[in-house]
Amino acid sequence: MKRRTLLQRLVMSLSVLGFSALPFGISRLLTPRVHAEPHRHIPLPGALKDRADFLQACIGCGLCGEVCPPRCIKFHQTDGGRAANTPYIDPAHKGCILCGYCMEVCPTEALSVTPIRKVDMGVAQIDRVACYPWVDKGVCGACVSVCPLGDTAIDFTFANFYRPAVKEGCVGCGQCVEVCPEPSLPIHIADRSEGMVARHGVGYRQLDKWQGGQRLKY
Amino acid sequence: MSWTMMQRHLNKLRWLVLSLVFSLLILLPFLHLYQTYEASHAYDLLSPTEKAISDSMEWLTRPFVNDPATDLNKIKGTTWSGTLFGLKVSDPLAVVGQIAAGKLVYVPFLVTALIPIIFTIIFGRIYCGWICPATFLYELNDNLTAWLRKAGVPVSRHKLDTRLKYLVLLMGVIFSALTGTIAFAAMYPPAILGREIYYAIALSGFGAGMVFFILTLFFDIMVTRRGFCRYVCPGGALYSLLGWFRVFRIKRDVTQCNDCAKCNVICQFGLDPMRDNFSQECNNCTACIAVCPTDALSFTIAIKDQSFQGAGHLGHSHRRLQG
Repeated sequence: MKRRTLLQRLVMSLSVLGFSALPFGISRLLTPRVHAEPHRHIPLPGALKDRADFLQACIGCGLCGEVCPPRCIKFHQTDGGRAANTPYIDPAHKGCILCGYCMEVCPTEALSVTPIRKVDMGVAQIDRVACYPWVDKGVCGACVSVCPLGDTAIDFTFANFYRPAVKEGCVGCGQCVEVCPEPSLPIHIADRSEGMVARHGVGYRQLDKWQGGQRLKY
Repeated sequence: MSWTMMQRHLNKLRWLVLSLVFSLLILLPFLHLYQTYEASHAYDLLSPTEKAISDSMEWLTRPFVNDPATDLNKIKGTTWSGTLFGLKVSDPLAVVGQIAAGKLVYVPFLVTALIPIIFTIIFGRIYCGWICPATFLYELNDNLTAWLRKAGVPVSRHKLDTRLKYLVLLMGVIFSALTGTIAFAAMYPPAILGREIYYAIALSGFGAGMVFFILTLFFDIMVTRRGFCRYVCPGGALYSLLGWFRVFRIKRDVTQCNDCAKCNVICQFGLDPMRDNFSQECNNCTACIAVCPTDALSFTIAIKDQSFQGAGHLGHSHRRLQG
């Protein structure tokens, strides 16, 4: 009899605990973690460097999106797992114009006010086998002409003046990605550690596998 | 007209505030759309719908702003976190969740929750009854439930333990700490509503949060009356705790009460005003004050709840007791 009451109490308290955990479980299941293309999910300007720190700080209020003039800030609305409702920028859709409103309005430390040239959303990376001028298939220069930071961020190479080359001053705002006419997006925003020129080949792929931590994790 | 008499109209005032907050939540995304159209300087390229939005919002705001692209940034956000003329106001639950997730206190963010915390300490769960955009829909949902009941649809009104929501709050803190995210943000109805309305109007459409919110509506209809607010909502739990020593409480004047029990029926939180049982759960919705035919209920200044004062002096049972 005593064992039965103990068991009953155990079952009862477990079911109460389960019920109280239910809303969190349901909301988590509604936003499953799916593969997110890192080049199309770049952090906001002034965001905390470490992704885990950012998720701890962001309360998912959406204020950054509500003040964004070009409406480039998107949210993990139906996916993202832990990152559900947190903001990201998809530069292939809309690039950041570095106006700084999101940094000013953020109530938490997730976004902090940063001078434009200190912003680090990544760096533009050019895939030289897909960019028209780099394969001598025409002249373009859209990325260079749209860059808000001018020739400190991206400029033509000295040898051929339609071939763009990214420089150290790039903050990764993604306006070049937005205007790039080539559908495969030879220019994209990558983590700064990945360099400014896309690397190809077996060797690089192996390197990428070994140094798996370098890529942006979502 | 005395103060006690005027309190009958507080419920109307409350509905005015609730509707204002809710319509503001709908208006702000449209204003943001208008801002983006202005910022892009491309009116001619807009679609007819976008032009209609732009024109109507321009008509609405023209008397108040010079440069909509920047001036309209003064009022932004939702009840989860917003900014009003440079004053940032956040939900205390967001602060609790963030402290739990990051295991550190970020003081500027804590400061943004001070005003709601002070109001809650004085008035108790006033946010739940007067501001929360989810309450607006939950109360309408409760009316719908009443209609369904009238139409013969079986709706159930089970009673659970109100302490459950404190456990949910604790669970949320634990989950936030374990996962390193603010777990409340995905399941707290006002936060969900604020951002989902914005998603639907200014971005691509409703997100997953709306599914969760609709599930809570069904929970309210099919399991218990106003069940989410009463038994699950971690925000409600936090406000109940903060408002433990609230100064303003509804009190029953036993000499005026006639034990008609209309207050008990109207109370969506299932409280028992007729027997002086308001407890921590009362969200100051003032529906009982509005419905009371003898004006026996009114706000008074008291730190502690009144214990049962016995049957109402105007009621049958009292007369029977008196002989």
